This record gives sequence, structure tokens and C-alpha cells, in this order.
Amino acid sequence: MKPGYLCPYCEASFEAHETLKAHVVARHGTEPLPRPQGLINLTVNGGKYEFEVEPNVTLYTLIHDRMGLTGVKMFCDRGACGSCTVILDGRPVLSCMTLAIECDGTSIETAEGIAAKGHPLIEAYVTHHAMQCGYCTPGFVVTAKALLDRNPDPTEEEIREALSGNLCRCGTYPQHPLAVTEAARRLQGGSK
Amino acid sequence: MTKGDMERQVGQEHRVRADRHPLPEYRAIGRRVRRKDGLEKASGYAVYTSDVQLPGMLHMRVLTCPYPHARIETMDTARAQALPGVRAILRYDDPELPEKADLSGHFGQAGQPHEPVLDRCGYWQGMPMGIAIAADTEEVAREALKLVEIVWEQRPFNLDPVEALKAGAPLTNPESQPSGNFILPFMHEKKVTHGDIEKGFKEADRTIEFTMRRDQDTWVGPERPCGVFRWNGDYPEAWLKHQRPHLAKRQIADYFKVGVSQVTVHCLYQGASFGGWSQMGLNMQPNIIAGILAKRTGRPVRWQFTRREDFCGAGMDNARYHVRVGFKNNGEITAIHATSWFSREGLSHTDHFVENSKIINIVQESNGAICNIFTGWAIRCEQNMNCYCFSAVMNHVAEALKMDPVELALINDGCEGHAMADITGWKTERGFKDRDSLRECLEAGKKAMDWDKKWHLPGAGKLANGRMHGLGMSWAHEWGDSGGSAAIAIRIERDDGTARVLGMRCDNGVCAETAYCQIAADELGFRYEDVQYRPFEEAGFTPMTPDSSTNLAVNGWAVRNAARQLKKKILEVATMPRITERPEMGYIPPFEGYKPEDLDIKESVVYVKKDPSKRLTMAGLVRPAFFMGKMDVGSTEPLFAYGWQNQQGAYDIKGPPGPRPIFVRQAHFVEVEVDPETGGIEVTRVVNANDVGKAVNPDAVEGQQYGGSVMGVSRARTEEVVYCPRTGVVLNGNLIDYRINTMLDCGPIGTRIIETGMGYGPYGSVGVGEDVASVVPFAFYAAVHNAVGKWVDLPATPDKVLKALGKI
Repeated sequence: MKPGYLCPYCEASFEAHETLKAHVVARHGTEPLPRPQGLINLTVNGGKYEFEVEPNVTLYTLIHDRMGLTGVKMFCDRGACGSCTVILDGRPVLSCMTLAIECDGTSIETAEGIAAKGHPLIEAYVTHHAMQCGYCTPGFVVTAKALLDRNPDPTEEEIREALSGNLCRCGTYPQHPLAVTEAARRLQGGSK
Repeated sequence: MTKGDMERQVGQEHRVRADRHPLPEYRAIGRRVRRKDGLEKASGYAVYTSDVQLPGMLHMRVLTCPYPHARIETMDTARAQALPGVRAILRYDDPELPEKADLSGHFGQAGQPHEPVLDRCGYWQGMPMGIAIAADTEEVAREALKLVEIVWEQRPFNLDPVEALKAGAPLTNPESQPSGNFILPFMHEKKVTHGDIEKGFKEADRTIEFTMRRDQDTWVGPERPCGVFRWNGDYPEAWLKHQRPHLAKRQIADYFKVGVSQVTVHCLYQGASFGGWSQMGLNMQPNIIAGILAKRTGRPVRWQFTRREDFCGAGMDNARYHVRVGFKNNGEITAIHATSWFSREGLSHTDHFVENSKIINIVQESNGAICNIFTGWAIRCEQNMNCYCFSAVMNHVAEALKMDPVELALINDGCEGHAMADITGWKTERGFKDRDSLRECLEAGKKAMDWDKKWHLPGAGKLANGRMHGLGMSWAHEWGDSGGSAAIAIRIERDDGTARVLGMRCDNGVCAETAYCQIAADELGFRYEDVQYRPFEEAGFTPMTPDSSTNLAVNGWAVRNAARQLKKKILEVATMPRITERPEMGYIPPFEGYKPEDLDIKESVVYVKKDPSKRLTMAGLVRPAFFMGKMDVGSTEPLFAYGWQNQQGAYDIKGPPGPRPIFVRQAHFVEVEVDPETGGIEVTRVVNANDVGKAVNPDAVEGQQYGGSVMGVSRARTEEVVYCPRTGVVLNGNLIDYRINTMLDCGPIGTRIIETGMGYGPYGSVGVGEDVASVVPFAFYAAVHNAVGKWVDLPATPDKVLKALGKI
């Protein structure tokens, strides 16, 4: 996942480009090396990552194919379904319509990260059967998390509006507002 | 297995009668339990076929026909071959390819035009054909495909079944069907007659005729068809997004001429399977091609359709109808003559009159034509033509008589030509209670919809906001309790005495694996938490799902049968000395001196029925049974049992009374508001009343009611694959232009579960997954008519509504 970086002077190998830069300045007395084209730094679910990406690589491809995070899903393949939604610096974005190279320095949250933090949305989705085949479910969870982050006590109408960009062919729609409402209640300290 | 055991495997008599051995008490069954797949799916950790990545994996793209009907005259692949990253190319004229291959996944589908692995001709836009390219990345494969230079012979085409059957129409497939475009319907004769149609019309007080049509819709499964194929020496291994992976396994073995036991097929979570081409040969074609290229390159090969390509895999609803109905002034329907013109399979459109009405005199004529559109296959489900015709007849007659359609339903409800009131004996002979399922559904639905207060004659509902108000109702029997076979096993974990149900992964969203655990728990006497459906992904023990249809009524029996066998073994272990590999160690059963029938299991604890203080947890039981007090693993046989079920099909009715008359019913109600200025339709409420016999998992039942309603409204209101009449290509092959419902597009959905116990599944259950989405569109059809006073064909798009209102 992390490419190796070779020192052009002594061929010492470094995992991170920042470490290589520090090395050449300290050991060889040079100016800091220019940043390689396509090098991006991301914070994904709280972890720091560094990738070299081609300009045409989408954030979806990076997260799903290279990082192996299967919570982003490709349903429509053109920004119409919300299944690939991630939270990028607090905003829900469609990772299939976002170029990875434009995400340098950003922080990204996926369903896996939301689950790892024990967010009540996950258990609420399980309890309320807000899923069937489950393919689109992580996208709903991520969109709902972004909603609750900016609106901790949404009305049912606000929930429906926020989730209306996510498509579910199984038709689980009526169950989502129940799950999101319960998660909101739990976040505010209420019991089930 | 003893004869008694065999009988417990639910023999013939159980397939056509009520469950004779239900449980005296339900603890997990019928309870709202935590679904087994919930955390995995909500957190993004559930893995689907499209998530599979293997080391060294290549990506394959198959050419899909850009025209509705065309032949490759010449094809030059030199530039594609030279593109860096291209690893293998397979052409239609490759000497390895057989002239024909059986790639079908259902019933053989003889005569279908896709039999060549890579055809030189394309008979519909989107048909995989001509050439496949495997490359290091999907982008390279796609780019290489663009570099292939093809000279096409474009041919005339047919899109409409009526036009295709006219004299002088172009041939849809001159290679396989040079004599014309006519095809026989699937699974029935061109003309089917019940009773005496002339007599029926003579008995009628009135006769009406009408026409209707339903244009093409499609499945839009979220996980696009895909697969990964790898060779491990002589052993093919495939990951399939496929609704019938066990049949696909056989096809792989057949094509590559290896034993089925050499083939490994992984079935992971399925990103929905509503039928369509996820269950048939066209899905297997790229898998076989991937297998060929994987063998040639020595690397795994992955393929996946694009969403646009997937849109070419349309359903089978493309049909036109002419219906003549005779009826009495009291609402009794005496004769139905229904003629259809359809593209491809064309399942029956009058079976429902036989299965759930007292109408005796019926003639069905079916005119099938192959057209230059997708082969067509049932999409949730094959009853669509039946539902459309049945609902249309009932609602047209109600309109003609100015009668409440609920009242008309009760007048005509019945079974195989008999009024329901006259066949109470049929129910009791088969072990059912005599309950009036339709009446119960209608009463529950009416109450939820406030029908008696809101219903009005067609066109008479004007709202203060200027809109037109409409209420519609449609009904049918529940059919999800028949047709299929399944094998499932259960074993007890050696270390803690919990149970693991063994079967092929059978999840496509209907919460089936959870329901199987509920059944196994109650049958074994275990806590629900102590039973897991942890499938081995390989298609071995083969439950009915992921086929989806009628899974509970088939797999549920198999789980139950296995659990009853296993419980018997557990109690034997608890009471009987056993032969071990090391007899000197002996085995003293924990309940020495008792017989198996003296014991029972509850909450995962084995106990003496007459003295429950004598008890032992399952964990306590299996440890001495297997470990013998020492690390002597395997010294006694595993606690393991299997069960199976062959469930009587629904299509075997031979005439009244058939082997399995259907007594359970469903009724659906839709309320709409129609804007007379824009033609827009707002669905303000849907109510589902389903008699599911016994709700094993109420959350799953409601989920199917919600989902079926959402999909049903969506199909009825907006969904249509639009073909360009000039070029014959799909114009809206994406999720922006082909509109499926969002969360804002369907009003509140009220669900009512009725449990009469009159299903043929275990505990009297019947499945609910297919039918709601198949019936709700026609409740919508009736609601729109009730609002505007005119019949509007589906999908009832605004332009059609405005046309019906005479505004355009």
C-alpha cells in the first residue's frame, strides 16, 4: 500500500516521502526534494495514509480497490445512487465522482470507520432492519452520519430529504428514518 | 435413516397439505430478533462478488452489440492486441470455441440465440458478442475494445411483438429461426381453455372488452452482474454474482469437461437478485469466457457489466392484451377470453383466475414473438402478466357495474372454479382451519386505508387542492410456498454445543438466513443466539435461495427436517453408551438410565422432562461426548444431521381440485393524488395486507411489504426502458434517466400481517417476497383510474395521464 521511496544519493529506502525529505536534508545537506506528482496524504477513518495516484483515479477506486474498504459500493457508476458516499472533511461526497488526487490533505470517513467508533447508527440500522441485500446500506449509514453530525436532532422530513439521494432497489426506505431517529436519540443520551 | 425418519423428511403428503407437526411453542419463530447479517452489512464489511480481488487478477471486457440487430462482417484486432497491458483476446472465430454451448441457467432454454459462446451476430443491443479482451486494468480492457475495428452489417429489427408477427416483418433471428418470429409461450400451450367459454358468455348479463399494454421494465439490481474465474491446476474456481450458483457449477463442469466435484463456486452476499438475467445463461456467458481466458493466461480474470449494459437486460413484461369479459349484474364473472401478444417467454396471463377465483370459463390465447430486445426473463416475478390481467379484469368489471372492487373481489374469490364458501372441505381435508383469508386481508386493509370513507366512483374524487383523488385495490393469492428443492445440514460445535446451519450462502436480502436460524433454534430447543447460519460459500448443500423464489417454504422445511434429526441424535448422545475408537475409556452418558424420549431441550439446556432439575447445558453435554474428559478430539462421531425438501410446484395444477389449491390471499391498497395540469401522480399512501400463514420473521415480512410496495409503485409510475424507434437502442440506460423510486417518491406504507396458517410451508407459512411488488403496480393502476376516470397503461407517466385527460 505504501510505496517505497529511494534516496537518489545513497539509495536508502524509506516508507514515507516526508521521511526521505528529512533524510536528504540531514544526511546529504541538500534542499528538500520536490513532492512527487500524484502523491497525496489522506486521513482515512483516523489513520494516516500516503498514496501515489494517477490523475484519473477516483476516490472510490482508491478506497475500495487499493485500501480494500468494501463499505463503498458501486451501484450506478455515475453519481446517481449514493452507494459510494464517504464523509470528506465533514461533507458527504460521492467517491465515484471525486478524483483522489484532489483529496490531498483531507480527512475521510467510511462506514467501517463509523462502525469502529461504535456509532449508534450501526446498531440502530441492525435493530430496525434498515437493509435487505445490504449493498447500498453503508452508503445510507454514511449519509445519515453526515446528517447527524450537522443536525443532531433531525425531523423525519429532514432525514428523508437528506437520504433521498441514496437509492435502495430493495425498497427499505420506510425503515431508515426509524433507525436514524433512534441513533439521534441515543447520541443525545436517551435510551432505546 | 429409518422409514420413520424418511417420513419425517416431509414426504409427498406434506407437500400438498398443512403442516401436521407444528411446534407446540414458538420462542424464536415469530419474534423480532436481531438479524444475523445486520452488523456485517451496516458496517460495510459484508463482501459481495464485485468486491473480490485476487493477486494477479486481470480485467475482462466483452463487446456488447451496439445495435439491435447486426452481424460482424470483418473484425481487425491488431491495434487492440498491440495496446500495452492487453494480455489475451478471444474472438468469435477462435478455433477453441464450439459452435454451440449450453450456457443456460434455468431450464435449458432451447432455441435461445445466445448459445454460441461468442456470437458473430448480435440480436439485441447489449448482447455480449464478438470479442472479449483481458487486460491488466479495466480501463485498458475498455480502451482496447475501442481499438477493435469492426465493419458491421446492420440489419432490420423488431421491437414490438405485434408488429413482429405481421406478414413482411423482418426476421428477428434469421440464423436460428429463419421461418418467422413466432414462438410458443413458455410452460403452456398457445391456447388454453377451461370450461365452456361460449356458455359462459351466454350466461352473462353484460360483456365488456378492453385492451391494455405494459412496456418493458427491468431489474436494476444494485450489484451489476459480475464474476471472477481462476484455475488452480485442473480445478476451476469461480466467484459468481448469480441467482443459481449450484446450476452454474454444473455448467462450468460441462463446458470445461471436468467433474462437478472439481469445480469450486463461491456465492457471496448477493447485491439483490430479482430474477432477470442474474439467473440465466447470459450471465454465465461472460463467466465461461473469463474461464477460457483465465486458463490461457494463467491468471484470475474478473468481469462486470457496466450499468448501461445491465440496462439492456430487460424483463418479460413487454406485452399487449385484449380481454373480453362476461359477467352478471350481481358481479359474478362468467367468462374471460384474454389474448396476449408478448415478446419472448410470455408466461400465463390467466392462471390467477384458475388459482384464486370461482370463474370457470376461461380462454387464454398467447401470441409470442421474438424481438430484437433482451431475451426477457421474469423479474420479481413471473406472475406479472397474471397479476396485470387479473387486476384489470376485476377493476374493469367493478367500473362497469359501478361496484366497489372490494365487494366484487369477495363475490368472485374462490379456487379452481369453486366459490370459497363451497370448498371449506378442501381446507379441512388438507389439515387447515377454515378461515376466509381474502376477507381477513380486505378487512384489515380497508380499515388501515379508511376505504369505506374514502372510496368513490371513478373520476369523482376532487380535492380542495385541485387534484384528483384516487383509491385502488388489487388482490391475489400468495404463491410463495411452492416449487423447489433444498438440502441443508446442521452440526453441533464440539467446543461449546452451539449449532451451525450449513448451506450455500443464500442471502440476497430477504433475511432468509436469520429465519432459518429461528427455525433451527426452536426445533432444537436452542437459544436463537446459539444458532448461526455461517455458510460455506461453496455451492454444496444447496438451498433454494439465492434463487429467491419461495425460499422459506422450501428451505424452511429442509432446516426443520435437519433440526429434528439432529435433536434426536443429541438426545441419544445424552442417554446412550456410545462406541468409541478407544473403548477402554468408555463413555458414560450424562443421563444414564434415561431414554431419549425422557428428555427435552429448552434454552440450549438438556433436561429430564419429569424432573427439570436434572439438567445439563449443551456445552456441558458435548464436551464429554467429544473430548471424553481428555484431549481426544474426534473419538466419537460428530453431531451432524442433514435434511432436504422437494416442494410441490405451483404450476402442476391438473384441474379442479388440483394437488394444491391455494387458500391464502393478499390485498393491496394504493391512494393517489393526480395533478390534472401536469399529469403528475403522487402516491400518498400504500397499505399491504398479506396472509403469510405464519410469520417466522415479522421484520422480514414487513421488509418485503415495504420493499415490494416501493418497487411496485416505482414500476407502475415511472419505470420503462425506452427504445429509440429509429435505431432500436436503449435511450435511458442509466439511473438518472430510468427513474426508480427514491425515499421521497412513495408515501407512507402501512403493513398488515395476517396469519391463517393456510400455507404449505412449515408451520403453515407462505413466502411474501415476490408477490407484493407484482400486485401493487396494479393497485396503482386501479387508483389512477379511480382518480382520473380513464384507464392509463403502465407506467402511468405524466404524458399518458394528460393524454387520457384529453389535454395533449
